[in-house]
Amino acid sequence: MSLFDTPGIRTLESYLDVAEARQTLIASNMANIDTPGYKTQDLNFKQALAAAESGQDPYVAQHAVNGLLARPDGNNVNLDRESCLMAQTQLQYSTGIALLREEFSDLREAIDGGPGGSSS
Amino acid sequence: VNLFGVLDISASALMAERQRAEVVTSNLANAESAGANPAKVYRRQEVVFAAEPMGGFANAMAAAGAPGPEGVAVEDVVTDTSPLVKRYDPGNANADAQGYVHYPNVNPTQEMTDLMEAVRSYQLNISAAQAAKSMIQQTLTLLK
Repeated sequence: MSLFDTPGIRTLESYLDVAEARQTLIASNMANIDTPGYKTQDLNFKQALAAAESGQDPYVAQHAVNGLLARPDGNNVNLDRESCLMAQTQLQYSTGIALLREEFSDLREAIDGGPGGSSS
Repeated sequence: VNLFGVLDISASALMAERQRAEVVTSNLANAESAGANPAKVYRRQEVVFAAEPMGGFANAMAAAGAPGPEGVAVEDVVTDTSPLVKRYDPGNANADAQGYVHYPNVNPTQEMTDLMEAVRSYQLNISAAQAAKSMIQQTLTLLK
């Protein structure tokens, strides 16, 4: 294990991958809001995170969402659901970024020789 | 797969919604393009949307077995074959031998609601693109 490849950084990287994949699917659902027959897609977060951590693509955990009311043309994209999920995913992504910055600043502190270090 | 792919998906939707708005405005513009010959009178046009696998994703996802994220594309523009509106107006320059004028099968109310829907969907996809943009910008703060 190298200095920059800590378990924390690796997990956060997978977490960001999953949040990004989810955001992509939400954008895809929104893009297809007027496509006849399109079914809402989402990720199983737990499976996607496990997949990302083992180096697989998070989309292996992709599934069509059940229980949504379909319109007569077969499309079941719900705008409110997608908007809320988009806000949620963005916040999750921000959390991941903030934690990752924290990890990096810890490393930097170690490189600098602690809070009272010589440089910066 | 990266966040720039999200922008591609939203962009595909913006293009599709824009084309839809263009078709709708063309219908509205021709709502009164009447004529004597029904075969030559303007008929309402309609776009058909279809989900479209995004380039890079499509190849990667075929192996994984999941459809992956999909953009949208205008698959076809079809002509509405419902009957034209026939009005008896013998004095009109566009009247046929029997005195009927044939008006396009365009219903302005229907077109206006369709146009509003296209505009709202356009705005929706703009906000999705902005969300992706702010996520990309956050990633850049890791470099600071």
